[in-house]
Amino acid sequence: MSKILVGIDVGGTFTDGVVCAGGKILDSAKHPTEEGDLQGSIFAVLDDLLQGVKKDDLANKIIQVVLSTTLVTNLLAAGGGEQVALIMIPGPGLNLKQLDFFPHTYIISGAVDFRGKIIEPLKQTQVEEIGTLITAAGIKKVAVVGKFSQRNNSHERLVEEILKNRHPHLEIVRGFEVSGQLNFLRRAVTAYYTAVTRDKWARFADSIKKALRKRGIVSPINILKADGGTMPLEVSLHNPCETVFSGPAASVMGAFALTMDQQTSVVVDIGGTTTDLALILEGRPLYASRGAVLSGRYTHVRSFAVRSMALGGDSTLRWTGNKISVGPDRLGPAACFGGPAATPTDAVNILEKGKLGSLSLSHRALEEISKQAGLKVEKLAREVVRRVNDRLKDGIDDMFRSWEQEPAYKIWEIVNKRQVRPDRIVGIGAAAGAFIPALAERFGCQALVHRYSPVANALGAAVARPTLSLLLHADTQRQSYYLNLEGITGKFSSDGQLADAKDLAQKKLQEIAEKRGIGKYADHREIFLEEQFNMIRGWSTTGKLFDVGVQIASGIIDEFKGVQP
Amino acid sequence: MKEKNGNISASPPAWKKGSGGKEALPTGLVFFPAFDWAISPTHPEREERLLYTRDQLFEEGVMDLPQIRQYQPRLADHKDIARVHFCVPDIETQATEAHRVAAGGALVIADALMKGEIKNGFALVRPPGHHAMRVAHGNRGFCNINNEPVMVEYLRQKYGLQRIAVIDTDVHHGDGTQDIYWHDPDVLFISFHQDGRTLYPGSGFTNEIGGPLAAGTTLNVPLPPGTTDEGILFVLDNLVLPIIDEFEPELIVNSAGQDNHYSDPLANMSFSARGYAILNEKLAPDIAVLEGGYSIETALPYVNMGIIMAMAGIDYSNLYEPDFREDRFKEDPRNLKKLEGIVQELTAVFRRRQELVQSTRLQKSGSLLQRNRQIYYDTDQIREAQKEALRVCPDCPGCLLIDSQASGPRGHFRVYCINIHIRCCPQCRQEARDHYAEMCRQTKELFDYVYLQDRAADLYLQYDCHLNAEDMV
Ligand SMILES: [Zn+2]
Ligand SMILES: [Zn+2]
Repeated sequence: MSKILVGIDVGGTFTDGVVCAGGKILDSAKHPTEEGDLQGSIFAVLDDLLQGVKKDDLANKIIQVVLSTTLVTNLLAAGGGEQVALIMIPGPGLNLKQLDFFPHTYIISGAVDFRGKIIEPLKQTQVEEIGTLITAAGIKKVAVVGKFSQRNNSHERLVEEILKNRHPHLEIVRGFEVSGQLNFLRRAVTAYYTAVTRDKWARFADSIKKALRKRGIVSPINILKADGGTMPLEVSLHNPCETVFSGPAASVMGAFALTMDQQTSVVVDIGGTTTDLALILEGRPLYASRGAVLSGRYTHVRSFAVRSMALGGDSTLRWTGNKISVGPDRLGPAACFGGPAATPTDAVNILEKGKLGSLSLSHRALEEISKQAGLKVEKLAREVVRRVNDRLKDGIDDMFRSWEQEPAYKIWEIVNKRQVRPDRIVGIGAAAGAFIPALAERFGCQALVHRYSPVANALGAAVARPTLSLLLHADTQRQSYYLNLEGITGKFSSDGQLADAKDLAQKKLQEIAEKRGIGKYADHREIFLEEQFNMIRGWSTTGKLFDVGVQIASGIIDEFKGVQP
Repeated sequence: MKEKNGNISASPPAWKKGSGGKEALPTGLVFFPAFDWAISPTHPEREERLLYTRDQLFEEGVMDLPQIRQYQPRLADHKDIARVHFCVPDIETQATEAHRVAAGGALVIADALMKGEIKNGFALVRPPGHHAMRVAHGNRGFCNINNEPVMVEYLRQKYGLQRIAVIDTDVHHGDGTQDIYWHDPDVLFISFHQDGRTLYPGSGFTNEIGGPLAAGTTLNVPLPPGTTDEGILFVLDNLVLPIIDEFEPELIVNSAGQDNHYSDPLANMSFSARGYAILNEKLAPDIAVLEGGYSIETALPYVNMGIIMAMAGIDYSNLYEPDFREDRFKEDPRNLKKLEGIVQELTAVFRRRQELVQSTRLQKSGSLLQRNRQIYYDTDQIREAQKEALRVCPDCPGCLLIDSQASGPRGHFRVYCINIHIRCCPQCRQEARDHYAEMCRQTKELFDYVYLQDRAADLYLQYDCHLNAEDMV
């Protein structure tokens, strides 16, 4: 038997898991997700899955276990986690006092500009006073974030030093370590959330690791990220926020695993209460242009562009007096499975003559509404499916529109703007088969509902490969370069050229990948951004600025060659 | 549009009615730095120009704020350009893709505003346009195509707007925009700029007040070099705002240059980023379009932030340049005195505008008023000789006839241009169209091209005299 991959996706309602090998799913498992005990849900699925795997294979053949979990999202949504103080060093610009930020936010003097020049010094006494206030309030964790700290992190370092001097027990997250991408507000939010969730995530990660080792699994344990890539469990300890929205990412990677080609697909993951839409454009999943939104705030967490609609297989159907409404609530499972109310699943069940569940239960549930509406049950069922597809179609059209309207900054991007239409719609989730074919017909494209569609999310997790995205900014006049990762900076030659910047970016990506234990994927790297600007002062060139982006994009691990039909 | 001092204009235009919730709408922003376009590698109008502005805007995270909605520019159509310019020999030659994207950025903002998606908008685009005149033989003052008039004519055609105010706040005289609206009484054009005796393009004096049938709706305020926040805001408060109030435009456009800044390398003024913010808060333009501004590292990142913040109603009290010093922006009392004089002079001109036009009509009705001009294209080193003639009509702003010739890198061209105002009376329009047909027949030895710009019908024709071929844009 060939190599074994294990994927577990903790969803809002269910936790799914698969064991797959050689393009086949050997076993799958499903348990309701216990919000208060995610570990318990994971272990239950895991134990189900491992029953079918031989003891020897556990140690020898499993090459990765990938986990996608909602722990961090839940923690933040519930306001759990640690108390954190946020110290911001904004310099000139927005008046942060006017923005509704977090409790225990302190704004201090000091400023760095876009070139990394210090334009205003830090005030030591101010930082010391804040240190006293923070510790008096019993806070042990601090996030410190400066504007343009990726171009010069000395202020963030200095704040840490001053605080630690008097209060060595304080744990400090510095903005430049969290993300070097432009956007100070997102950096502040991401650093803050990192400090809030890091300890709890570490405890969770530790118990997962122990549980797997206890069960004889020695393979690498990877965590799925919002960008559809994995990271080793150890790396996740530094970046707990990257674990958010891995559920939708798992669905997209699942669709990817089912197709593995260069076509344009709409991924429609129909759940009980919600449907998630995502796009794969010519074989590449579309990323959100602004980073994931966590508890209503933009972060630097890179994620797929996913649109969530309050519409699912179990949404409650009602007659509003002149039309049928679908959702947004869910009272329970569909009537055909013993649920309390009529749902879209029941409508489909009627049209499919009871293929999904009890035909009589579906009938009984829809009959009540049909009386109110004065429509025959069959006609009502068709109307429900039409309405669901109308809304899905609007959602999909809107996603394409927003993608087409993404800002561009170069003339060739505007001139070469294209319109892309879907080649097919990929259905994910148990209810997909009921809706996807009719939806695809609306777009005049193919429908793909695979026998693995119901567990495609867990499959997506199982086969995802690591991702790593590196941005390098180099300034020949300041003879420095800056990375978005880990706050790495260094010397860049004053006569450096774009080719040097590209070489350096690739070298750094290789180094960081190796350090993270994903070195073998560095060969898959690709350059996705290269810009150079001549700095002209007077009429002569005084330096060059380079921006280079190199990444290991999301994809499927080499060991997985696609599903067997 | 603003309603100052509680004075609500008697009858707001239809598209503004029921706009009670307008203040809750976001500010539209097209940020188009054209990172792949330059006039030449070391030219001020080069790729680097908005680089630090990008860094500042992105790092600041303004695009994430609910008060801002970002839009992507589009390519302006050839027809959008034909409404404004007589491009020699044709539109393709003068309006490259870069120019069409910059103008298209302004059009996107205009559409968003008219659809009620935004309360106001800023087209932060390059290349700029305000030195580009009605007849375009080449590049003048870094400009080929004039973005604001392209947008204004689009708004008039597509949305039926009539009265528009264009306020040029660039440090250079907006001579291109002035030329385009010289004969148009429906567009109020006010430019304040560093005195033309000390700066390119050397025009924009107080006696330039518009053509005979549009006198008093072009106003120029030459500012002494070194004028500060206080001086510029004095002109705004005492001249620009009261005149806008009297003119009652349906739309206010800020032709927003940023080279009045104290650090600009091409000019000598003392305006600050905060000054720009205050200016835009008070002027409250419906649409701002970026023009010049070449202090790319010291000024632009802060000035652009300031304009965006002011338009979006975001507190700008923490916005300042790293080297900002409060005491630097007090005006010299002698300059203030001078400005007071200009304000009085121009207010009087504006108030007499109907009288001036009326007397021209009484005395010159039916006659052809002519002026001869020499126009220099500094960037492309072209000299153009223009003979302009306006037929004085008792009922309408008339039609305009231009005989223009110039020698440039593409050879010598002599062209004949006919412009019909959007509100032209049927008789003038018929005469103009007959004249066009006649010129196409008669003059192949004299002219290379004959152009007709019929804004009343939104129809644009170009006749190639050598090929005897007519093209419709
Ligand atoms: Zn200028
Ligand atoms: Zn007339």
